[in-house]
Amino acid sequence: MNPLLKIQNCSRTYSKGTIRIQAVRDLCLTMNAGEIVSLIGRSGSGKSTLLNLIGGLDMPDQGHIWIGGNDLTRMNRDDLDKHRRFNVGMIFQSFNLIPSRTSLENVSLALAFGGKGRSERKRRAAELLDSVGLKDRMNHRPGELSGGECQRVAIARALANQPMLLLADEPTGNLDSKTAEAVLSLLNELNRKGISIFMVTHDRSGAEKISHRILQLMDGKIIKEKLLRSQHENG
Amino acid sequence: MKTDELTHIALGNLWRSRLRTLLTTLGVIIGIGALVSMVSFGIGMQKNVTDVFYKNELFTSMLVSSQTVNSDKVLSGDMKSISGNLYEPPPLLTDSTLIRIQSIPGVEMTFPEIRFPVKLRLGHETTQTNCRALPASMGKYKPFNDLLAGSFFKNDSQHTVILNQHVFKDLNIRLKNGQDHSHNWEDSLRNILWIEADSLVGDSIQIITSVVDMNEISGLAGFLMHGRMHLPFKEVTHNFRIGGIQKIGTGFENPDMISGSGAIIPIQTAETMPRMGFSNIWDVLSGRHDRKGYLSAIVRVHHIDHVKTVQDSIEFMGYSVYSILDQLNEIKKGFVIFDMGLGAIGTIALIVAALGIINTMVMSILERTREIGIMKSLGGSEQDIRVIFFAEAGVIGLMGGFLGVILGWLVTKVANAVANIYVLKEVHFTVNFFSIPLWLIFSALVFSIGVSLLAGIYPAARAASVNPVEALRHD
Repeated sequence: MNPLLKIQNCSRTYSKGTIRIQAVRDLCLTMNAGEIVSLIGRSGSGKSTLLNLIGGLDMPDQGHIWIGGNDLTRMNRDDLDKHRRFNVGMIFQSFNLIPSRTSLENVSLALAFGGKGRSERKRRAAELLDSVGLKDRMNHRPGELSGGECQRVAIARALANQPMLLLADEPTGNLDSKTAEAVLSLLNELNRKGISIFMVTHDRSGAEKISHRILQLMDGKIIKEKLLRSQHENG
Repeated sequence: MKTDELTHIALGNLWRSRLRTLLTTLGVIIGIGALVSMVSFGIGMQKNVTDVFYKNELFTSMLVSSQTVNSDKVLSGDMKSISGNLYEPPPLLTDSTLIRIQSIPGVEMTFPEIRFPVKLRLGHETTQTNCRALPASMGKYKPFNDLLAGSFFKNDSQHTVILNQHVFKDLNIRLKNGQDHSHNWEDSLRNILWIEADSLVGDSIQIITSVVDMNEISGLAGFLMHGRMHLPFKEVTHNFRIGGIQKIGTGFENPDMISGSGAIIPIQTAETMPRMGFSNIWDVLSGRHDRKGYLSAIVRVHHIDHVKTVQDSIEFMGYSVYSILDQLNEIKKGFVIFDMGLGAIGTIALIVAALGIINTMVMSILERTREIGIMKSLGGSEQDIRVIFFAEAGVIGLMGGFLGVILGWLVTKVANAVANIYVLKEVHFTVNFFSIPLWLIFSALVFSIGVSLLAGIYPAARAASVNPVEALRHD
């Protein structure tokens, strides 16, 4: 079986004046469809950089990243836009919702980039918000929602165009423990429905509850891999 | 992304920063308002001038002259070539020449150009004006077919005069034109009478011409010796009846130049009147009193399309032809330069507005950097981001253009009203100094949107090139 995600000898170095920071170095990684893989590590270990590379927001200096068999590093600009639209859905620690738009409009925006018509956007966005338990909060702006609700809107938005892979960057980082647990539970539920999730987190215990595998990153390299459960043992 | 959604996003963005959008749009409104009012002034002035020509059907008339005076030579001071004309008088246009011209296909009417200075005496008041002789058949054409009072003369030998409305002003008479007017103290002080135009028709008037007094010429040396200077002219009085009164016109018409003269009399009557017209000065200076003919004649063609062929035929006969149509293109060229000057001032205002748009949109990018990052993370392409910013600039341009045209229209209305109240209060007609044709409205809108889109190029390109990773970290 072909892996959903395959990263081979990937490196990414940033330059700031004369200082060169190697955020990801010669990293290799494989992930199968239906898995939840969590990446843990200290701040500055390269977690978010790796997530941006997989999300197509950034490009590696060397190496290859395959998603669904397609090499990101050989994609042109249009293909990368399509990759972000249809292949991956991203969730951020700070939610990254547009504050002036309602929950429905935020989710609808992703559908609009996916080329959906107005009525379909409205119907589908309402369904997605309903599925994350926000039926009554559709017309609220992010400022009127709690952190947990904002993250659920972000999850609904990430799922809008039915991506192959959900990329979560510290999804519980800004939430209290109870809300964080609810969000993790939602992710777990989505995984049981067949959605693959690659999650970057500081929260080891939370990650251990839902992940199939945990990878530990240090100085841009995976130093440890822990198998928690097989794909057939979804919790 | 579909265009409707991008436009929706753009409108939403503009609505969110209403005050800034309003102020930016205000700049465009003022720019377009200035442009429209300036250009409409140029168009209005041109229209006023050309309308007079069209209204008086001057494009179907041409002046045939027996001589050619080269204005360039006059201006350059080349008097040698000009002085030759004084000693070699040009061939005159004779009646037989006019008959030959009349036979050219397309020619409707030919008559000699006769003008001479006269004095008019009505009651105790006298004034001086220029008298012109016309055939009675001209009465069916503009502006002679639409008199203020009375009617154009019916035959060429009656002693009837058509006076221009402006002549009465010099005779201390104001025409009521059917409106009530109470006599005020100022009118009494200046002996001004208010009379119905119709009541003047049929009244007697004296036309006084000047003729060369040969007795005075022979005694001129004696007068000079005694230090007394008398011009060798005497006056001859002719009794006429006022047949009609010609309107003063609606603006830029100089009655003496275009509509005719202060007084118009039948052509045969004029030929029998002893007078010293402008054409005779050549004869006076050269001592030839026995020459028969005219220095110039008016040729009228059936249609404007005949002008060129008739002009060519007459020039082939050896005469020079002056047609207003020739001058129209020169006039238009002059107005194009005038319009460009006015348009440039308006364009400067619009350029300032465009800088305002750039400033507003660059500020908007700084504020919306994170939003741009979010859109890119959701799969928004650089093109999508560019279109959103272009749409915002375009909407500002459209709104600014639309409201700017309204502002320009209001400005022209106010300026025209003020000009007519204060500038033209001495004359009794209204002038439209401004004209806003449909093409100007359409062009102003296109120009406004175009300039706004140009102003949006840099901000749109800058927004599209935002790095999504950095943008998502942006506060």
